[in-house]
Amino acid sequence: MLAQAVEVSEFVRPHIDWHAFAPELILLAWGALVTVIDLIGLEKTRRYIPGLTGIGFLLAMIPVLTLWNDGSTRVLFDGAYVVDEYALVLKGLFLITGYVVVLFSTYYMADGDYYDSEYYQLIAASLLGMLVMTSARDLISIFVALELISIPAYLMAAWRKRDLKSNEAGLKYMLMGVFASAIMLYGMSLLYGVAGDTRLSVIGEAFTVSESKPLFTLAVLFTIIGFAFKISAVPFHTWAPDTYEGAPTPLTAFLAVASKTAGFVALVSIILEGFSGQAEVVEPFMWILSAVTMTVGNLIALKQTNIVRMLAYSGIAQAGYMMAPLAVYGTVSDAARSSIVTYLVIYAAMNLGAFTVVIAAARRTKSGEVASFGGMINWSPGLMAAMTVFLFSLAGIPPMGGWLAKWQIFSALLEADRNTGVALAIVAAVNSVIAAYYYLNIAKQMWFLPSPEGEFRPFKVPAALTAALVITVVLTIGMGVTGFVPEITEFVAAP
Amino acid sequence: MYLNQFLIFSAILFCIGVYGVLVRKNGVLVLMSIELILNAVNINLVAFGTFHGQAAGQVFALFVIAVAAAEVGVGLAIVLLIYRNRRSIDVSEADLLKG
Amino acid sequence: MSAFLRDYLIVILFALLACGVVGGFIGLGAIFRPNRPTAGKVQNYESGVDPVGDGWSQSQIRYYIFALLFVMFDVEAVFIFPWATQLETFGYFGLVEMVIFIFILALGLVYAWRKGVLRWV
Repeated sequence: MLAQAVEVSEFVRPHIDWHAFAPELILLAWGALVTVIDLIGLEKTRRYIPGLTGIGFLLAMIPVLTLWNDGSTRVLFDGAYVVDEYALVLKGLFLITGYVVVLFSTYYMADGDYYDSEYYQLIAASLLGMLVMTSARDLISIFVALELISIPAYLMAAWRKRDLKSNEAGLKYMLMGVFASAIMLYGMSLLYGVAGDTRLSVIGEAFTVSESKPLFTLAVLFTIIGFAFKISAVPFHTWAPDTYEGAPTPLTAFLAVASKTAGFVALVSIILEGFSGQAEVVEPFMWILSAVTMTVGNLIALKQTNIVRMLAYSGIAQAGYMMAPLAVYGTVSDAARSSIVTYLVIYAAMNLGAFTVVIAAARRTKSGEVASFGGMINWSPGLMAAMTVFLFSLAGIPPMGGWLAKWQIFSALLEADRNTGVALAIVAAVNSVIAAYYYLNIAKQMWFLPSPEGEFRPFKVPAALTAALVITVVLTIGMGVTGFVPEITEFVAAP
Repeated sequence: MYLNQFLIFSAILFCIGVYGVLVRKNGVLVLMSIELILNAVNINLVAFGTFHGQAAGQVFALFVIAVAAAEVGVGLAIVLLIYRNRRSIDVSEADLLKG
Repeated sequence: MSAFLRDYLIVILFALLACGVVGGFIGLGAIFRPNRPTAGKVQNYESGVDPVGDGWSQSQIRYYIFALLFVMFDVEAVFIFPWATQLETFGYFGLVEMVIFIFILALGLVYAWRKGVLRWV
């Protein structure tokens, strides 16, 4: 029988740890401030908005660093919001990603007669959602954070108002995204119903003793399918290449890196905390999803001639690698978490870098075809050197960061010491070889083949793009050479 | 009043919504079908919340309502954009980009 | 018959009664009233203005933006109503929270106004 009355308890003012909440609050306040400045100044202040937004991201970085220094795990709102090392690493990652996206959006947006101050405010809103997502340990806050990330992204994908391709990119992304979150919500409502609480920790405990297996399995499937759309796992990936090609390229980079990372953060939180006691239900599903995603992503990427589409499919394949440790999380939960975080950090650096090169090169070639990279060694040796670093990193060639990321994934899979883990490691290894082929194909274009235009025309990369390139190259090589990331993520693994 | 009556009702609503999303070609009708799914979610949440004697379910439902309005607002804006540019809101006609 | 169905039996009886009473009065009226249609009488009533076009007409696209804004602000009321019923319990803490919430909403409205969305074009 349904209980009739909902209990009303005495209201107690919740204790709020302002320090732990500071990055989000700074970003929110700064976003509101930038909006007010934009509303007062309109055209007069328009060209300062990108710079101001970037400063806001760097300001929000300060409390992240002080919290990191402090080192203690802070729990807010009865365990619904947790600020620990795992959350802080990812908050830092998102803020840097956001800053790089602002850097390379600056010229792109200003060149193309679009509303640009709104664009930066939407990026800030989306970034705020990502910061909340890293700490969210509650179904409601995960859902709200996910929507805060996605809704501005739908708008930005359709940003080029008069371009049919951009309209279509926005439409596809929006319909698939809204549908996915509706399915995910249905799963979450069942999770809440079975567990009787929205906090992940309580759900995790409830499910270790729960009897109602079928309902739980249904809830898990729906929830994971919802996130599979967000991280563009096969067979829920169909929106990704179209949206990536049609959307403005800086936004494509934002979607491919930040939005996908945020989806992963939520997936990792939910699976490792909420479904911790039910590994036998979740693991086979993740195994299949991971193997299919990396294989299909790589095979389709082989055939692409447009570089943005190729990066899109390569991103899909890499989502497959990142999901792999979740197929064995029942035995190596900590290693799974730290290897995924390592991969996410390195993935962000090298993919942002590759997109920066694509955006910079498109200023000269006005084309997204792989062939347009031909002869880059002549017209921009610096750009070519940077792209080579990113391609080698993506292909997993030491000493670039990508190698380290793959190594972490493989060691997590093998550490589990189970047949399923070994089998998935073999699938991933075969896929890495396939992927190396198409990455190195681009390198070949740049190094050895002639430019399709034939003539020699020197080319200058704008300052903001150079800054973005420097940041990403330093991170990609630095993380590979020093092994810095595992040091950070060791903290993450320790509960 | 039994819990499973609500669950069956919401499951039916969910199925109708999913069917609508998959079959309909009109962009606005797809959005309406998604609203049906979200309403199925709300019924689930409120029923479970009352079953467990908590307010959390209803609070969750309030957030779903507010976010759904935002989603549909953005969705309609994008559908309108498509309509302005190509005079049709048939989703299956959007095929410039081939996945 | 369970208690649940018995409760609803009353609702059904009430609904039947309501339909019967309304239908009965309208039916009685139809029997007694004179029936002399003229062109002016069968016309659709449109606030005293002569009706234009047929019943199904497309709304002006410019209404859409106002409808959209209305829906946004209307739905945000779901957060304000629960707060308003418990205003005294939450005290100043709740008041400050709600002021921040409404400030952010108002920022959206100011945005729409300042960017010229509210202008009737």
